Amino acid sequence: MAALRPIMGRKGIFFTFIAITIIAVFILVYTPTANISLQKDTSSVRSRISVLDRYLSQLEGQYLETVLRASSHKAILSLVYYLNSSDPPEYLSNFDTAFYEVVMYGTINGVPIDSITGRKIMDNNTISNWTTKINHTAKDTYNVNTSIRINNVSASQSRPWAIDVVLNLNYTLQSEIANWRKDNVTVTTSVDIEGFYDPSYIVNTNRKYSPVIKKSSVEFNKWNLTYAREHLRNATYVHWQDSEAPSFLMRFTNNIAPSSCCGIESLVDPNKIPTSDQRESYVDYLFWTHVYNSQCPLLYNITNPSVIPPSQAGLWDEFPYFKLDLDHVVKYNITNEYLIGTCS
Amino acid sequence: MQKRGYFFILDATLGLFVLVIGVFLVLSFTLEVPPQTQVGLIAGDIINFLSSTKIKDLNNPYAGIGGELWKQGLITDEENTLLQQAGEFYYKKREDLAEKFLQNVSMPIVPSQFRYEVWMDGSRLYPKNPGPEHVSSRDGTNILLTSKKVEFGIANKTTSEIWGPYKAEVFAWQR
Repeated sequence: MAALRPIMGRKGIFFTFIAITIIAVFILVYTPTANISLQKDTSSVRSRISVLDRYLSQLEGQYLETVLRASSHKAILSLVYYLNSSDPPEYLSNFDTAFYEVVMYGTINGVPIDSITGRKIMDNNTISNWTTKINHTAKDTYNVNTSIRINNVSASQSRPWAIDVVLNLNYTLQSEIANWRKDNVTVTTSVDIEGFYDPSYIVNTNRKYSPVIKKSSVEFNKWNLTYAREHLRNATYVHWQDSEAPSFLMRFTNNIAPSSCCGIESLVDPNKIPTSDQRESYVDYLFWTHVYNSQCPLLYNITNPSVIPPSQAGLWDEFPYFKLDLDHVVKYNITNEYLIGTCS
Repeated sequence: MQKRGYFFILDATLGLFVLVIGVFLVLSFTLEVPPQTQVGLIAGDIINFLSSTKIKDLNNPYAGIGGELWKQGLITDEENTLLQQAGEFYYKKREDLAEKFLQNVSMPIVPSQFRYEVWMDGSRLYPKNPGPEHVSSRDGTNILLTSKKVEFGIANKTTSEIWGPYKAEVFAWQR
């Protein structure tokens, strides 16, 4: 028995080692932290990327469009007030350059436009201001850096009653887990022109008379003398098919070339101009450019107030000396009994 | 010798069993955590509901179309989401309205075992003045989860006045 003891003792140690090894293997295999943290990390990265994707979608699809529309509306309004501020009022030399500078930086020729117009319109409302604001808020909310570089902003018209504004930009988004970069992103919006003052009236009447753009509700084939009277009284605007009138944006630069897509016109109220009786067609752009001054045979009084009976006094009872050219007599469907040749 | 060998194997197995049970019990205690998944979901659910539901889609006698706020002219844009409407009230310094509005639209959708807060631009809109029970519940909770979003909107369509962008945040925890 005495000879066996050392052997037994060594086997005990051997079994103890086996037990410890098995326990170590069990502990390693079933330690829960390793497995859980791996799943956790993957899911949190996926969730964060999905949150940032939604933010970018909101930035591109909603925020930039809203900001572009608001800044453009304010820039156009500022430019109208800018025309009104100069003494005497003058047209812009280049609308595109002026619009870009105002909508991006709130300045014109390097001077803050609000300081010229005396109205707080562009202050904190330029596209540059809004891109800075979203960067700060996104940093605070998602801990990301949003960098937006504006390539161009331009305004044009393809419809008579709205301005199309196009913004082109590049952006990058940097977070601790991933970066996003997108170049040549185009954001478009449209700004309704109704509610703006007509720049051509501001300049041509020296600020004495400047109607607000308001679309006439009369359909093109329904015009008559009564509707023409309402049109004149309410200073509404009309767009004719294949129009020969200038568009709203063209009225900023005294460009009176025909704009077939977007030309709009109103009738000048003789009561609101210094000299009511002029040998002109009282359609606004024709009146300012004196097109019919030398073509008197094509002009018609509508109508002479001495006409009897008074029911046929035409428009002169309310708008004395009002005249139209033959083309517009036809467009407004003014019938013969109300027409008296200006030079006949 | 052979019998003693079995004895040692049996002894080691029993020892192993005891140790495994012990380790399992210790890990079970240390890994016991509150059900954070559910709390995390509720914070996200609340902000998703508020930021995706529009006024026009809401059937609510206080905040929906034709409701009290609509009739008073305090809500004018049916396309606003609920969170945008709350943000607009905040921008127009009507935080009292924002609180009542949020309470009306969110309380019916949040299970009663949870408490929550809605913040806008660093200001707590709901509840504006929390009671002591609310405060102690928030201070004492083990898990307080948040869900965030950038919000903005149009305050005046005629003048193109924009509010925001603000950080909108929902905090949620279990009572």
